[in-house]
Amino acid sequence: MGNLSTKIIGVIAALLIFISLYLVFGYAQIESTMLEVQKIFYYHVSAALTVYLAFGINCLFSIKYLIQRKSNDDLLAAAAAEIGLIFCTIVLLSGPIWARYAWNTWWNWEPRLTSTLVLWLMYIGYFILRSALEADKRKLYSAVLGVIAFVDVPIVHFATKFWKSEAHPERGAKFDIAPSMLYTFLVVLAACIILFTLLLIVRYRIQTTQTRYEMIQQKHLAEAS
Amino acid sequence: MRIIVVASFVVVLALFIFATQVPVDITPDKVSAAVSEAVSKSEAPVDEEIVEQVVLNSIAVLEKGQSTRLKYLASAYLVIWLVFMLYVLRLGQQQQALDKRLAQLEQTPETQED
Repeated sequence: MGNLSTKIIGVIAALLIFISLYLVFGYAQIESTMLEVQKIFYYHVSAALTVYLAFGINCLFSIKYLIQRKSNDDLLAAAAAEIGLIFCTIVLLSGPIWARYAWNTWWNWEPRLTSTLVLWLMYIGYFILRSALEADKRKLYSAVLGVIAFVDVPIVHFATKFWKSEAHPERGAKFDIAPSMLYTFLVVLAACIILFTLLLIVRYRIQTTQTRYEMIQQKHLAEAS
Repeated sequence: MRIIVVASFVVVLALFIFATQVPVDITPDKVSAAVSEAVSKSEAPVDEEIVEQVVLNSIAVLEKGQSTRLKYLASAYLVIWLVFMLYVLRLGQQQQALDKRLAQLEQTPETQED
């Protein structure tokens, strides 16, 4: 993907973020139970859905690497996991702020919170593994871990169905959501996905440049010796 | 990169201030008028003064808690902004360091040839 395409995606991302913030603060009606605090929901939930997408891409390219053994698939999987981890951090940090107001506690060990924390820890483990191993083993083992870690994504999603939760609503629960809130949520979700795409391209480009640099360096060292 | 960080912070802050400065347009006169209208439509006997007082008390409670709620809202968006900006800054630093190293590496053979 060329520089121009990246710039266009960057401009779209910036515009969408600006519009989404305007919609969150200035357009969406205030919800009657949580009042202003409910506005955390828009970015919290959108970030959580982007996490699913990011770790899904990680799993997909990990499987592709395991089949075809192409280094670029490993780099793309790692880039997706890294940005997924950033979004997951946002979910885990914005959640307790909501929880403090809604449930009067920063954290409770309810199913979705716990499984999300486990997901975050698994991908932290993914990067610890990558930094601890040499190139060939790193690619293979992290691809395997990427596939295994993704198993936790449906667990997070269906956690409220598997185990009864008093905090998060059960999956499929009917909400009486105002149109202004729904449109705002959809725009924020689009902004998160575009932002994820932009960061993925930038991160992947840095990683491929890094790999190229290492190859040139090795070539120089070989020529020198 | 610094421009992006500063500009994004200004945008988030401006939108937040813009949203939270919207005046709450519920005055005692409007409450009184709304209660009178509702009571006039009611078939059951209702004490208008009591209803009005209950509504005014509810509004007072809501307004009192507004600053606390806005603190939670501001904290959440500040955290989200911080995480993104720290990551964007880190990406920028990595890119700069890599460009610098690549430039050095490209210069090496020329230096050797000289």
